[in-house]
Amino acid sequence: MTRKIIARKLLYALLTILVVLVFNYILFRVLPGNPLSMMMRNPRATPETIAAVKEFYGLDQPWYLQFFTYFKNLIHGDLGISFVYKAPVAEVVAKKILPTVLMVGLAEIVAIVVGIFLGIIAAWKRGTKLDVATLSFSLVTYSVPTFWLGMILVVLFSVQMRLFPTSGMFTPGKNFITTFAMLKDLFRHLALPVLTMSLVLIGQYALTMRNTLIDVLSEDYITTARAKGFRERYILKKHALPNAMLPMITIIAINIGFVVAGAIQVETIFSWPGLGRLMYEALRARDYPLLQGVFLLVTLSVVLANVLADITYSYIDPRVKN
Amino acid sequence: MKTRFKKYTIFALIFVLSIVQIGCGGSGQTSEEEINSFTVGSSAAFDTMNPLSSYMQATYEFFMLIYDPLVKYDENYEPIPGLAKDWDTSEDELTWTFNLQEGVKWHDGEPFTSDDVKYTYELMMDTGLGYMYSSYLTGITDIQCPDENTVVISTDFPKANMLMNSTPILPEHILSEIPDEELEIWANENPVGTGVYKFDSQGDNFVKVVVNEDYFGDIPEVDEYIFVSYDNIDSMAQSLMLGEIDGANNLNTAQYNQLMDDENVSVISGEEKGFMQVGVNCWTADESGGNPLLKEKGIRQAIELAINKQKIVDMAYNGHGTVGTTLINPGDYFHYEPTEAELRSYSIDKANDLLDSTGYVDSNGDGVRESSEGEPLEFELITIADNLEEVKSGQMIAADLAEVGIKVNNVTMDSGALYDQIIGGTYDMFIWGWGSDVDPTVITGVLTTDQIGGNNEPFFSNERYDELFLLQQQELDEEARREMVWEMQQIAYEEAPYIIIIYANNIQAIRSDRWTGFKQIPETGTYFFNLTDYNYLNIKPVE
Repeated sequence: MTRKIIARKLLYALLTILVVLVFNYILFRVLPGNPLSMMMRNPRATPETIAAVKEFYGLDQPWYLQFFTYFKNLIHGDLGISFVYKAPVAEVVAKKILPTVLMVGLAEIVAIVVGIFLGIIAAWKRGTKLDVATLSFSLVTYSVPTFWLGMILVVLFSVQMRLFPTSGMFTPGKNFITTFAMLKDLFRHLALPVLTMSLVLIGQYALTMRNTLIDVLSEDYITTARAKGFRERYILKKHALPNAMLPMITIIAINIGFVVAGAIQVETIFSWPGLGRLMYEALRARDYPLLQGVFLLVTLSVVLANVLADITYSYIDPRVKN
Repeated sequence: MKTRFKKYTIFALIFVLSIVQIGCGGSGQTSEEEINSFTVGSSAAFDTMNPLSSYMQATYEFFMLIYDPLVKYDENYEPIPGLAKDWDTSEDELTWTFNLQEGVKWHDGEPFTSDDVKYTYELMMDTGLGYMYSSYLTGITDIQCPDENTVVISTDFPKANMLMNSTPILPEHILSEIPDEELEIWANENPVGTGVYKFDSQGDNFVKVVVNEDYFGDIPEVDEYIFVSYDNIDSMAQSLMLGEIDGANNLNTAQYNQLMDDENVSVISGEEKGFMQVGVNCWTADESGGNPLLKEKGIRQAIELAINKQKIVDMAYNGHGTVGTTLINPGDYFHYEPTEAELRSYSIDKANDLLDSTGYVDSNGDGVRESSEGEPLEFELITIADNLEEVKSGQMIAADLAEVGIKVNNVTMDSGALYDQIIGGTYDMFIWGWGSDVDPTVITGVLTTDQIGGNNEPFFSNERYDELFLLQQQELDEEARREMVWEMQQIAYEEAPYIIIIYANNIQAIRSDRWTGFKQIPETGTYFFNLTDYNYLNIKPVE
């Protein structure tokens, strides 16, 4: 891929982000409900107090001025002030990135490794009992409702086996004496959300991997390779897998883009303090600046993940390079 | 392959080591002592740590521990000393003298004085901030501080609820540093009070308070309370059974049945002050956006007659509540019970008769009654989407009203959108609830003409009601005051701007295998969220 093409791709990405930003800005303001009445449920507030609050958030300006102020501040990295948290949006969002990336990121890694592995086995042993078992497992975890799965895992691992805590990221209010104690607490809390999330994702990866690999394995060049007398393992590794990985890259890239969007359901079941929950709370409270901040982050990561996928493609698929 | 593996191992090692390194910096603490730590789970979220702008009940619960009012309630809702050790009122009942506890210090070590009381009350009265509390301050005209330990409050009428005033006293030395216009949005990240518990820390979903060893009163046995909010009450119930938390608030009825079988847990379905109501738009002004037919009292009464409240209690609330009638809960000293003649209990026949006699008949045979001008009795009923009980109730009400020829269209939205509809007066009917307190002033005040555009959701206005509201505030004789509050409830029931469906219970539980010394307040009430700090101060670990 030449520099020119990369530059063009980045330009398109930038345009996409800009369009989404404008769209988000308008979308949230079309929603019913006045943010001010959500913010201060105080019918006794004096006009001076209301005016002061409006001014503080810039709500006293006409909408087009608010619009331009938003973009002007955005260029300076200022995302505005959250109505609910009464703190800068960037600060509020930043606090939630790590928990989400940690939880969803770990789940993605587990799901990708296990999913691809299962997919390969199923395709390789196509038609055997192993294939049927893998396929059923994938279909069940793919279609099971996340909320239900989460609760079942809680009952199983927290209530029956007493292995892991039911919710949160740390034991609330606990002072940790050593870092090791803190990490231990964190990992105990991480176990169930990661397990739930990865189970939900594994099915998708395994199914895609299986299907594309089966397609590839029936291609003529695989037969040719076999005719040449290569060992089966070698054929799988060198001839089939590189081609079967192409669609996987797309799916993985899209999913990784959404890592920062969190997983609203899993975060809610386990009261995990991540971005998904933040988004939901912001929506409920009409917290426009916060909503825009979270959406900006999600947009950025999805678009960037796609650009990265494009670039990766050019390395693993010579056809794209030309 | 092998070299790559090595590279990764080294990276991983460096990563782990660096994390351990970072953490070791702050590990100078001594090992954990045996501390009595009590964790309360609740499904309700906290809003802000600022008592001047908070409106969530969950937040008030720990404000009660961090801050002190002048006078607080004991377990029988009788006034007992808070920051005031005793008090006295003048002959004409217009001047109150409060003698303050001596040697009280704020949590930051600054001395507490009478000036803090004056400052807090005046700030709330002048700015309207601290809305949930400032309504207790109506009628105060002047506050004097003759010395550090005395507050003299003058009122323009004998103030009946002077000792039912739970306004927390805030520190002047901190608040006066903040410009007035920023008080509403002030975050108060580190609340400083005089209370028996001090603010310790706050996380994403919890607030922790620790006992204040320098407190002027008795020191409770529980060393720290941790208030945790759960997004999912199923997880909360599991946490309770596992012992991750010690108490739980706002459980659901399925969990009630489950916890009844758990011998480690004491679970109750406690009566709570407040009710769930259908609010009806009675606004008579031209700009009212409600269906004008609802301005007619007869239609509102017919709607109430046609609603099977008991069925809603049984089916939407699984029996955890009592059928509603008037503004103040049964069991409360001020509750008015409608007479046999006044009572509008469920009766399809009576509802049909009332509608027939007022001239609403189904003339075109579509199952919906019309006025003589052909206006159909068709109304929109708004419920809050994430309140399942209320949504279910709304659907049951629609089915009930269809029986008598009134068509109800159920609409759901979130509380913010509903709030805007209410403020704008653009709705027909909605379902929501009110929590109330010991003093009848706040809950009866909701329906006064003064509150139109604010708490008076149905835009109800009645001269006699308004007059009684002012009179009862000035009546220091409890029984005479009750007569007035009764008449107000009678008027509100007769006019039916609110159709009160249920006094719902709050299901709460405590790990009784670990803790003792707690009780329901009042006798059929709740453990927590009952406006008193009795249980917080009296819970003890089981020996």
